[in-house]
Amino acid sequence: MTTEPRDFGREPAGRLIPWWRSYLVLLGAAWRSQFQYRANLFIMILSGVAWQGVGFAFIWVVVAKFGTIGGWSLSEIAFIYGIRLTAHGLFVVVSGRIFVLDTVIQEGEFDRYLVRPAGALAQLWNRQFYLPHLGDLLSGLVILIAAATEIPADWNVLTVGFLLLAVLSGGMIEGALQVIAASFAFRTMNTRQIRGMMDDIFSNFGGYPITIFPIAIRLILTFVIPLAFVAFFPSAVLTGRSGGLYVPEWLALMSPLAGPLLVLLAREVWRSQLKHYKSSGS
Amino acid sequence: MSGSALTVRQRLAAYAGLAKIQISAQTIYRSNYLVSLLGLLFKVYLLKEVWVAAYPHSRATMGHGQQISLSAQIAYSTLASVQYFVFNPWTLSGIPERVRNGQVAVDLARPVRYTAQMTFGQAGVMIAGLPFVIVALPFAILVGGAEAPASAGAGLGYAVSLVPAFLITLLTGSIVGITAFWTLETDGTSIIYRMVAQFFAGALVPLWFMPGWLETLASWLPFQATTYTPIAIYMGKSGSVVSTIGLQCVWVVVLWLILRLLAVRALRRVALQGG
Repeated sequence: MTTEPRDFGREPAGRLIPWWRSYLVLLGAAWRSQFQYRANLFIMILSGVAWQGVGFAFIWVVVAKFGTIGGWSLSEIAFIYGIRLTAHGLFVVVSGRIFVLDTVIQEGEFDRYLVRPAGALAQLWNRQFYLPHLGDLLSGLVILIAAATEIPADWNVLTVGFLLLAVLSGGMIEGALQVIAASFAFRTMNTRQIRGMMDDIFSNFGGYPITIFPIAIRLILTFVIPLAFVAFFPSAVLTGRSGGLYVPEWLALMSPLAGPLLVLLAREVWRSQLKHYKSSGS
Repeated sequence: MSGSALTVRQRLAAYAGLAKIQISAQTIYRSNYLVSLLGLLFKVYLLKEVWVAAYPHSRATMGHGQQISLSAQIAYSTLASVQYFVFNPWTLSGIPERVRNGQVAVDLARPVRYTAQMTFGQAGVMIAGLPFVIVALPFAILVGGAEAPASAGAGLGYAVSLVPAFLITLLTGSIVGITAFWTLETDGTSIIYRMVAQFFAGALVPLWFMPGWLETLASWLPFQATTYTPIAIYMGKSGSVVSTIGLQCVWVVVLWLILRLLAVRALRRVALQGG
């Protein structure tokens, strides 16, 4: 493929169709391709539930035995876990398979994205819909709703609004970090490992009160990999713990803003890295 | 079965060959191993911090009528995580893939029983992972913790009980894999199996901390014999070592019979499926 050197970073063709329409068209296509196989639908969704459920079963047994983990009750930890998992579910359900960017570039599929009338990121975002992700979202919602009714929080318009924004922001945080990591595929063509590691950190540590870790790990999970903003800070605010944290209270209260800010950052990184794209030629 | 045509020596050579193919196939994925090792260390560290945060200030609690100190619990979860990691590599079994693309026909034409091919292939995958584990073990102990075996006998018992533990892991994995002959798709099934098996194996939480009914359920399933049993022997918390290992061997026989029964039926289905 020969193209004159132009600024791919601006995704020029994207203006022809409103981004949200191209997004919906692509999402619909991705969904339809997966729902072809109804026999597997149930078992694949269930596998997502099992995957996420086993982590929660562990917490449940530990709390059943010891009463609390780091001063957090079962319903309170479930609340953290539920926010994290719902945010993760939202991200993976809408993002399709950002995880396959390396393959998409290596096999030359990315060339096609650049000549279609939609943004390259939007096409990658909707490349394929992966059914177990629906299980992630479902188990997240079930745990979150059950926990929200159990914890001693004062639910009103303000707190429910804060929770909804926090969940959305949480999904954005994970999505933004994955996009930032994926962007480097334009240079190195292999980012699977760094993204897998990020995913590992999110799914292992994301559902626990961050305060059970030593201060060095807390600071890393707050300022290097901003995992604390996904579920822990929102939970601390809603369970009345935001006063005694290891960060100023206002920072915890601002957590619904962390997602949008990181998304803006991710967009800049993606655009700046896209300029380095060279077709693999295959 | 065509297997009877071979001498014992030929058959052993065939088994070794099957394992060797998988070992060399796995070395291609070296970088994947390194990443999953990092994942293992995260898990070991997380479990340690959770136990530290959950334990009372006295750093001791009762489980199963025995005293379980915090350091013993951390040693358990570290060893359990590493052992589970070695026994359960991600490439669980190639059966579903090979059933789908028809390569299973080649497998069936080989003069070695199909079940043996699966089992030794899986063993090869695990052996390929061993060098990585030797590298990871010191780090795992560093981020987690370790304790010496309760006695020399406990240490020996642990080493012996790893053999049936390994076989039970292979057999349950093969049983799940062979269901591909009916379902033709086991991505979902194998994830569910892994999660259920991991939990009931005691890889995350030992049976001595499970509520009574859950512990009863876990002790009637074969999975606990893969992870919990050897480590309980190691820590001197299993009761009679000989009868515990004996029970593991009973599971090996039962699971092997189930696998043989399924294999015979599965191979009959191949004719219906066609190329």
